[in-house]
Amino acid sequence: MSGTGRKRVRSLALGLLAAALLLTSSGCGDLSNDELNRGVESLSALAAQGQLVANGVARDATKATYARAMARTLGEEAEHEAEKLADATLEEPETADQRHAAVAVAGEISGLLSELQTSPGDERHGELIEKQLEEAGEKADAIVAQLSGDAP
Amino acid sequence: MKVIFKIALGIIAAIGGFLDIGDLVFTTQAGALFRYDLLWAVVLGVLGIGVYAEMSGRVAAVSGRPVFDVIRMRMGFGIGLVALIASTAINLLTVAAELGGIAIVLELLLDAPYSMFVVLAAPAIVIVVALLPFGGIERIFGYGGLMLFVVVATVFHQNPDWGDVARGFVPSLDSSALYLYFVVGVFAAALMPYEVHFYSSGAIEEGWTEQNLKENRLNAIFGYGVGAVLAVALVIVSGYLFHPVGVEPSDLGTVALPMQGAFGETGLLLALGGILFCVGGAAIDSSFAASYNLAQFLGWEWGRYQGPRKAPRFTASWLVFLAIGVAIAQSGINPVEITEYSVVFSVVALPLTYLPVLLIAGDRSFMSDYANGRIATFLGWIYFAVIVVLALAAVPLLLITNGGGG
Repeated sequence: MSGTGRKRVRSLALGLLAAALLLTSSGCGDLSNDELNRGVESLSALAAQGQLVANGVARDATKATYARAMARTLGEEAEHEAEKLADATLEEPETADQRHAAVAVAGEISGLLSELQTSPGDERHGELIEKQLEEAGEKADAIVAQLSGDAP
Repeated sequence: MKVIFKIALGIIAAIGGFLDIGDLVFTTQAGALFRYDLLWAVVLGVLGIGVYAEMSGRVAAVSGRPVFDVIRMRMGFGIGLVALIASTAINLLTVAAELGGIAIVLELLLDAPYSMFVVLAAPAIVIVVALLPFGGIERIFGYGGLMLFVVVATVFHQNPDWGDVARGFVPSLDSSALYLYFVVGVFAAALMPYEVHFYSSGAIEEGWTEQNLKENRLNAIFGYGVGAVLAVALVIVSGYLFHPVGVEPSDLGTVALPMQGAFGETGLLLALGGILFCVGGAAIDSSFAASYNLAQFLGWEWGRYQGPRKAPRFTASWLVFLAIGVAIAQSGINPVEITEYSVVFSVVALPLTYLPVLLIAGDRSFMSDYANGRIATFLGWIYFAVIVVLALAAVPLLLITNGGGG
């Protein structure tokens, strides 16, 4: 490679690094409607994932250690999402009700996963948790629909 | 017969050792988010690593020079140093992610604290490396990784709409930033630079010469080819199970859920076992790659075959890299997030890894009759163009999509 070529590669690398630093150092504002939406969508995703884990417990088709560890991880994620939603300042104050409902759903999902974590070998309980997580997921989906204006 | 057996062993080892935490995470997430739409990107990435692994193995076998030696020789000290710093940073993140991956799987299997397993994973690797010969390490982790063929069985158990699956192999026109981010991620996960650094140095560790070129080619074609089947299967099972219900896999344990759904506890254990061997093998490969690069750049004695007495700085650096990997994995950052960043940032370093390989493999004055033919030259340059485009797009896409978070 020629000296000019090397200089170009160096300039490109430095440019990329500078752009990355500039963009990553830009601040993050309040919770926008989109971010709230994404937060609630992730709750729905956590509920769906929890349902699959609970389904394994209900069918006696899993390993207790796996179900317990997965339930713990997912529960922590739901709790973290609840904290994030509760602590953020809303950019659009009219979405406060949805935020409040989302925090409640996050707490519900976290609680259900905590129950699953406690009894990963109980098939009947697993079946019940699966059903309740499905309902919690539907609540989250309903909030998403309200936020995106798709609710009836 | 012995040669055929050896080649078969090499191919099997390559199949099992193909997937690492980056492939597991990105392919599963790609399926969950885009169903089968990114299958083409998986195939593109696997063909790319096959093309460049064959070249780097050929250069190593013919010239006795591994990739990083070639980088410094061809690109000079300055660019070589940039490549060394970039690849070392990425390798360290990869080591940390793979160690974290080992700890996650052990946590799922044994339900003991993650942090304990991170600390135990490193000495376990040191013991394995100290006790086993180089080929033995590759084969054990390669064969163990074959447990992941339960993913292929899961595909047939799910029996997806094969027409939809087939359409996934044709590039789609989705231009959303998230889609493009996952194209970059899936492609980059397949072409992680440590794979060729390790592959070419491994060729020298095993004393390859021109006589091993057939083995090299078969490894590249069938090893990575059949390894691709596993990656494709992961996208399909994830797309089939996760996409309709909106699951966003953010944990390594989620990768095993479809196999649990199909085959119960047996499927789950096979999947977790396969993942454990894959990430374990990748932890060894990536930590070795970091030490190979440093030693080759600085002209130290290097190689597992030399032992700690003949290559003390190489061995010490390997232990230090493992220790740094443990420290990063213990920092509390989710290994999946570490993986995502290491994979996407690796794209930026890809041109510095693959251009020298391409140039030297095509240099008739250096490689004589073993230089790239027309097909290898054509594929090499096509892939290099793709790599450059993705390298330019990677960091902006990472930022725009908030690391794939949308």
